[in-house]
Amino acid sequence: MRVAVIGAGVIGLSTAQSIYEQYHSIVSPLTIEVYADCFTPLTTSDGAAGFWQPYLYDKGNIQETKWNKETFDYLLSCLSSPESVKMGIFLQSGYNLFSELAPEPSFKDIVLGFRHLTKRELEMFPGYSYGWFNTALMVEGKAYLPWLMDWLQKRGVKFYQRKIKSFKELAETGPDVIINCTGVRSGELQPDPELKPGRGQIVKVDAPWLKHWIMTHNFTTGVYNSPYIIPGSRLVTVGGVFQLGNWSEANNSIDHKKIWDDACKLEPSLKHARIVEDWAGLRPVRSKVRLEREIIQAGPTAIQVIHNYGHGGFGLTIHRGCAQEAARLFGQIVEQKGRGSKARL
Amino acid sequence: MKTVRVVVVGAGVIGLSTAVCIAESLPFCSVTVLADSFSPETTSDGAAGILFSAQFPDIPLERQKRWFKDTFDHLLAIAQSQHSPEAGVLLSSGLQIFKEVPANKKPFWSDFVLGFRLMTDRELKRFPEHKFGQAFTTIKCECSSYLPWLEKRLRKAGGQVEQRKVNNLEELCKSYDIIVNCSGLGAKTLAGDSQVYSVRGQVLKVQAPWLQHFIRDGDGKTYIYPGVNSVTIGGTRQEGDWRLDVDKGDTEGILARCTKLEPSLSQAKVLDEWVGLRPSRKNPRVEREAVLLQGRRVPVVHNYGHGGWGVTLSWGTALDALGMVRQCLHEMPPRARL
Repeated sequence: MRVAVIGAGVIGLSTAQSIYEQYHSIVSPLTIEVYADCFTPLTTSDGAAGFWQPYLYDKGNIQETKWNKETFDYLLSCLSSPESVKMGIFLQSGYNLFSELAPEPSFKDIVLGFRHLTKRELEMFPGYSYGWFNTALMVEGKAYLPWLMDWLQKRGVKFYQRKIKSFKELAETGPDVIINCTGVRSGELQPDPELKPGRGQIVKVDAPWLKHWIMTHNFTTGVYNSPYIIPGSRLVTVGGVFQLGNWSEANNSIDHKKIWDDACKLEPSLKHARIVEDWAGLRPVRSKVRLEREIIQAGPTAIQVIHNYGHGGFGLTIHRGCAQEAARLFGQIVEQKGRGSKARL
Repeated sequence: MKTVRVVVVGAGVIGLSTAVCIAESLPFCSVTVLADSFSPETTSDGAAGILFSAQFPDIPLERQKRWFKDTFDHLLAIAQSQHSPEAGVLLSSGLQIFKEVPANKKPFWSDFVLGFRLMTDRELKRFPEHKFGQAFTTIKCECSSYLPWLEKRLRKAGGQVEQRKVNNLEELCKSYDIIVNCSGLGAKTLAGDSQVYSVRGQVLKVQAPWLQHFIRDGDGKTYIYPGVNSVTIGGTRQEGDWRLDVDKGDTEGILARCTKLEPSLSQAKVLDEWVGLRPSRKNPRVEREAVLLQGRRVPVVHNYGHGGWGVTLSWGTALDALGMVRQCLHEMPPRARL
């Protein structure tokens, strides 16, 4: 069978990995190709801080909580592997801060050592009166994506730098299944009114004395529209903004000033941090992740498509669970093909 | 006008902390620090500087609690301020793990660090040979930055430093009114204290910027302490061992034991090896004494013997020493105070 994956961000690459892992010994030959207009280090996944944390509440979407947990447990198990450093995976603890009481999050039993902040700890953050402490994982896109590409290349997966303009265009070359991992630009392949860009901007600084992530929350301004400071393995990512509907990938100086001023209030020592660069990216925001099969008619041809896009600001957080689910959907197609050929005997 | 001449012997974390306390609180005292070594050559410089404590047998618990709490609160304020990077003082979270469940699950300092709790079973899974653990957030105080920062603070308060090896207290009694002895291991000869002994410690400095948590084995011999620019891993506790040179066998042992706790260390580059001699004593000696020197009773305040807990107890014992200097001042004949 031939599988064509569109998109080489964390979703595209991890989906290719899951399909290979689960089916390369079952389906023979299994050819996997990845088509993308951009590759690491230029994808949305590369700019993200790489902090594992879902949105606070899943609003009944228990499927997404399950995928988040699967991803966390998977990354946790990778920690003991000799590859963990190359994969960009490591543990980091930190603070979720609020100015009012908030219900406990969907991820409280997924992360390690979740607890409420003590009075003394809250004293360190003037303006915040409530919060949590836990140990979470980091998975840095700039390391993880090259590691995934290397993993896939070693197993014969081929990469093509090409912007795919339609499913039909790709289908004409003959793949059995197309996996659509096109993130924020999925609408170009198939209009989706639920998919919108959630523009984010960050400042990357050199502040190696910071060892904890700090995420503040403001229920009025909404998710990611409140200061956050996330130390990485080399630089610290400072944010954040969340501008729904803004397609600009250019850095905005007004956003920079607000992000920087707010972060320095939260962490005074940032005053002495060397600013390395700014970056803006578009979170592929959707009411819920689109992870489902679709058969698209392109003239006489019926194209088998598996959609896996719309992961908002939690792509790295949820990637493995979604990739495994996409592989399961792929398995349905494999099974149908098998039954189909049996029926033809 | 400075009328009382105070000399502090020793420029490690104890000497400089004590000197700063005196200079900032007693403006009519002139404070001079005399030491054979200054940062980066002191014992304090190689220490990882992570705050938590042992319990000393003969010092009242309330006093030990005060020593710890005073130091922790002082350093926490620095960590939370804009001075954090220059002073080398930062918050550090991590785990202390035990192969056997300790008798005391909640040591006295657990109230003074942040967020102290017992580790969950899930967290302990990472360490199959360990049955019990504690998780908390404490302070890391890197003396290679902190000592120069203290020295700056000392000068600002009118204090001075001078590089000079002090061989005996006699040579000081003419030029100074009060002697503060923070000579660490040197107190063995300077104060004639046979209770002082060396506990040799070797550490490695490695490059592993992905490590954000400290991990310490409760036996105190294996630890991983991520710092600002490198990770300190160790260690050894060799009592009565005065060797300052690096022992390759110890290096191998440290790498093996630490990598077992943190497998990713196999990817870390070793930057440096260092040896320090902990200025150990059954209990730290923080007390005053009137010493007969050249026919005169000279007030001496001792502040030494902190072993591996120098950084941890630095500010608290410095404050105690300051209190003793104050007492010395009150007892001095009025003429000397003019």
